[in-house]
Amino acid sequence: MKKLILTAFLLTISIHGYSQSYFTDSGTVVFHSKVPLHTFSGTSENLTGLIDLEKRTVDFYLDLATLDTGNGKRDKDMRLTLDTENHPFGEFFGKITSEFNPDLEEAQDVTVEGVFKIHGKEQNIEVTGKLTPEGDQLNLTAGWILKLEDYEIEPPKLLFIKVDQEQEIEINAVLKIRGES
Amino acid sequence: MKKFGAFILIGFLVSEIALGQMERRRTVTDEPLEVFLTMSLITMSTTSNLQKNNMNSTIMHNFGLVSTGIEEFWGLDQGAAVRLGIDYGITDRFSVGIGRTSREDNVDLRFKYMLLQQMKSDKVPVEVSIKGDIGINTQEERRFDPSFQDRLNMFGSVAVARRFSDSFSFQVAPMVSHFNTVVIETADQDPEHTHYGAGFGGEYRFNLKHSVSFEYFAVLGDRTKGTKNPMAVSWQIDTGGHVFQMFFMSGNWFTEQHLLARTTNDFFAGDFRLGFNVNRVFGLK
Repeated sequence: MKKLILTAFLLTISIHGYSQSYFTDSGTVVFHSKVPLHTFSGTSENLTGLIDLEKRTVDFYLDLATLDTGNGKRDKDMRLTLDTENHPFGEFFGKITSEFNPDLEEAQDVTVEGVFKIHGKEQNIEVTGKLTPEGDQLNLTAGWILKLEDYEIEPPKLLFIKVDQEQEIEINAVLKIRGES
Repeated sequence: MKKFGAFILIGFLVSEIALGQMERRRTVTDEPLEVFLTMSLITMSTTSNLQKNNMNSTIMHNFGLVSTGIEEFWGLDQGAAVRLGIDYGITDRFSVGIGRTSREDNVDLRFKYMLLQQMKSDKVPVEVSIKGDIGINTQEERRFDPSFQDRLNMFGSVAVARRFSDSFSFQVAPMVSHFNTVVIETADQDPEHTHYGAGFGGEYRFNLKHSVSFEYFAVLGDRTKGTKNPMAVSWQIDTGGHVFQMFFMSGNWFTEQHLLARTTNDFFAGDFRLGFNVNRVFGLK
């Protein structure tokens, strides 16, 4: 049994050890809800992400309670709508499906495919963005449209609050290299 | 037991290898509770405060006594007293505000500072705020010539509140009001410049949209003859953007110093008036 544990442990170490991965816990997420007279945006600077170029995996998550729309009352309503008590994270896990050259220090269009999960519901999505290798870091910008109904998110059916069904999501992150030890 | 532990460990390691997903960790592990929906229950300041850079605008109205009946259309024919006010969050705990009441053209400046904020984890089990308000009676006075100081009225309170459940919050607030000048309305009045009291208030939420609230001011110690303890009950509708409050109140003021010192109607004798407030919070950044 001890040998089995040791083998599994060494296997994990070896995979992590040789993988070239980049990490951040301070990426930025911005969403825009655009309805005439009711346009607003929300921001968080707590996006956590890991890009593993060896495994070509992309893993991001955000504690949704960190989203700030600049209006305390609206933030409270948003958290209730997203049910952050039971589903605290918005998260994506997928694979890089397009070509990417980490040695080329210029912005490169990258496509990732995977599962986005929010409000306890999952959808397969494809996201295009730009990855820019720069020394020992990767700069990432990406964006996509999130349809609330795809995740069974019901905007408050109250008198004055109007929320767009389609939310524009933007992410920006600088990921630092890790895992080459 | 050892085998079971080893199995769990192997399962964890293998799953991490297979998935390569990070462990999800909460950034926000504890957060403040929203003890009350609004900064004021009806007229009584709650412990709740504005977030930084948020502005709350309030329009408050009340009419004549409902007991006037159909002849005065239950008080509505008597016209409305109005207070227009705005408050602004300097920090998440400190706000300042200004308002004007149509009665005696009273302009008041106020502040609220939240000393303690009740946390979801119950690490801080209560919310505590101090509030100060200074009003200036700007109405033309024909009977005598008051100085600026003569026109001042003041209020201070320390409110302690707790949200006991998802539905129910309650607060107690020791308070004091002071008027530099007290005008005797009747010959037998023995006016008090300073009134001490305790405020009691609560809010019960039926759901996200509907709730009821009440407030009661009890004067403690000496009081101006003929005054009564003010009381109000309200139906609140939270529309997401606005909070509407429709209420019955025995007092005819909106500032707590006036309510405590100058209310002459008794709610329990059926002397109350209809009123409504509109609250709206704007994010300014």
